[in-house]
Amino acid sequence: MIDLAAIVSQVRQGMIPAHVYADPEIFAAERDRLFARSWTFLAHESEIPDPGDYVVRRVLADSFIVARDEAGVVRVMFNMCLHRGMQVCRAELGNASHFRCPYHAWTYRNDGRLAGLPFHEEAYGGEDGFARAGQSLLPAPSMGIHNGLIFISLDPDAPALAGYLGDFAFYLDFYTRQGPAGLELRGPQRWRIKANWKIGAENFAGDSYHTPHTHASVVDIGLFREPKASKRKEGALYQAGPGAGTTYKLPPGGGFADQLRYVGYPDAMIPAMAAAWSDRQRALVADSGFMPSAATLFPNLSFVHNWPQIDADGTVAPFISLRQWQPVSERETEVLSWFAVDAAAPEDFKRRSYTAYLMCFGSSGMFEQDDVENWVSITDMAAGSMARRLTLNSRMGLTSEGKPVKPPLATYPGPGLAYQGFGEYGQRHWLGQWADCLSREAQ
Amino acid sequence: MTAGRPLPYGDPAHLAAHQFLVEEAALLDAADFAGWLGLLCEDIRYLMPVRVTTARGAGFDSLADMGHFDEDMYALRKRVQRLATDHAWTEDPPSRTRHFVTNVRTFRAEGDDLRVESALLLFRSRGDTREPSLISAGRTDLLRATADGLRLARREITVDESVLRTQNLAVFL
Repeated sequence: MIDLAAIVSQVRQGMIPAHVYADPEIFAAERDRLFARSWTFLAHESEIPDPGDYVVRRVLADSFIVARDEAGVVRVMFNMCLHRGMQVCRAELGNASHFRCPYHAWTYRNDGRLAGLPFHEEAYGGEDGFARAGQSLLPAPSMGIHNGLIFISLDPDAPALAGYLGDFAFYLDFYTRQGPAGLELRGPQRWRIKANWKIGAENFAGDSYHTPHTHASVVDIGLFREPKASKRKEGALYQAGPGAGTTYKLPPGGGFADQLRYVGYPDAMIPAMAAAWSDRQRALVADSGFMPSAATLFPNLSFVHNWPQIDADGTVAPFISLRQWQPVSERETEVLSWFAVDAAAPEDFKRRSYTAYLMCFGSSGMFEQDDVENWVSITDMAAGSMARRLTLNSRMGLTSEGKPVKPPLATYPGPGLAYQGFGEYGQRHWLGQWADCLSREAQ
Repeated sequence: MTAGRPLPYGDPAHLAAHQFLVEEAALLDAADFAGWLGLLCEDIRYLMPVRVTTARGAGFDSLADMGHFDEDMYALRKRVQRLATDHAWTEDPPSRTRHFVTNVRTFRAEGDDLRVESALLLFRSRGDTREPSLISAGRTDLLRATADGLRLARREITVDESVLRTQNLAVFL
């Protein structure tokens, strides 16, 4: 038996019992206390643009149909037939007005309502024996949409999504609202890695320290000019609401448009970005020169924004990726990695951005390959007996008394706290929420 | 684009195409990636669409706008250059790979070009204790006749899984 209270207490000090990265008891606690109640991402509205469009996504073992109904309303329904429990929809995506269970042909409209069942009169005596009215696939207990991102919670009493996102919404806009058209998601690429789901989530929340070494090869080959340690440590590491992330410090002196041009945005996109973002959001990029890079929204949705050189002419193209660390077991994670781009961006920019994404992240990405190698190895090591005697130090940026080595930035335009210099602030912010969740009663 | 029927197995063009694929696989399994690049045309397109599970009547089973690979020569060169650095951790120690190429069919394409369809099974073993991974795929290649012999001008890889069971694609298919 694990002592959950003791583990949580250590984690709150930035000391991580290594076995939490491969422990079936921890995984069960995460399922019952964290994923049973947290807001988790399922899909983006651009993946289901037209009535009848659907994708099927999971929250751990629970499968959900995310559909746009005939009235254009987004519906999230538990993918299990009310009668005998078959998976009603067994495709990953498509377009359908109805979902028919293959077992006994109970049929549901794409808003979840039961439309028909065979031999209703003969088998059930009609409405008297089984009233069809009001019968529906179980809706997600809570659902919310922000910037087209569709989230659900398995907790019917979950706080409103907007309240949950809180100050992280400020940062979310950089990835998901570059203009009035909103985001266009493509993918996801899906693959399974033998790594614990927490490691990727923590990494994206604030690990600027790994970039110079883990990603040395992409600097060696001239794919990326920024991970050099001297530049990386000047970026702000922020934490706000349920999220945390990293930025790069761009060369000084540029205005808002210059900073966006520096990372490869074409002039055609810049006015829409200027109009979409608030004074404070523009100031983060322009006055402070902090360009958002990796981030994680607790628990398992991460973002990345990077700007590699994609051709021999040195063309720099930025890209955005959304990625979800979908837990399969304590030792396996399914990665869902989407390419995202402003829907109104010029087609030639979309092409360049897509190229940049494929070179850097996703199943074949040259950054991501080396990240996952580390995470698989950690998980492998965490599964043994010795890992139960080892507590990993995640206190970078803190003195022995728990004070920041450097105080938070005093003049910083964004909400939340931001630090400059290397430090595991974002990871501890993420782990603090993890500790809070594991301290709740199981649902 | 192609004639309807494959060339007879004894046709010299088919034999040359088949040999090309086998020699290519040997280079990849020997980790001679620079040598492999030498088999590619400068204007190569190297594609691997994301495969998806759809209803039989859906009319598609891969994503039109999203791949695992969508590479030109510049991108492939970068991948090969990266593997040659001292910092490509995911392939150091390197994978042991075996490219099994079979079911080869050759079709006449435009001019002297050949369209070649093949089945590929890639066995990949990493480290001493990890479970190996398998990637099964079909490939449709365009081979161009050049003064130096056949060269790969286009490859489209149709992977047979929607969710890949391999750590990454730091390998070529």
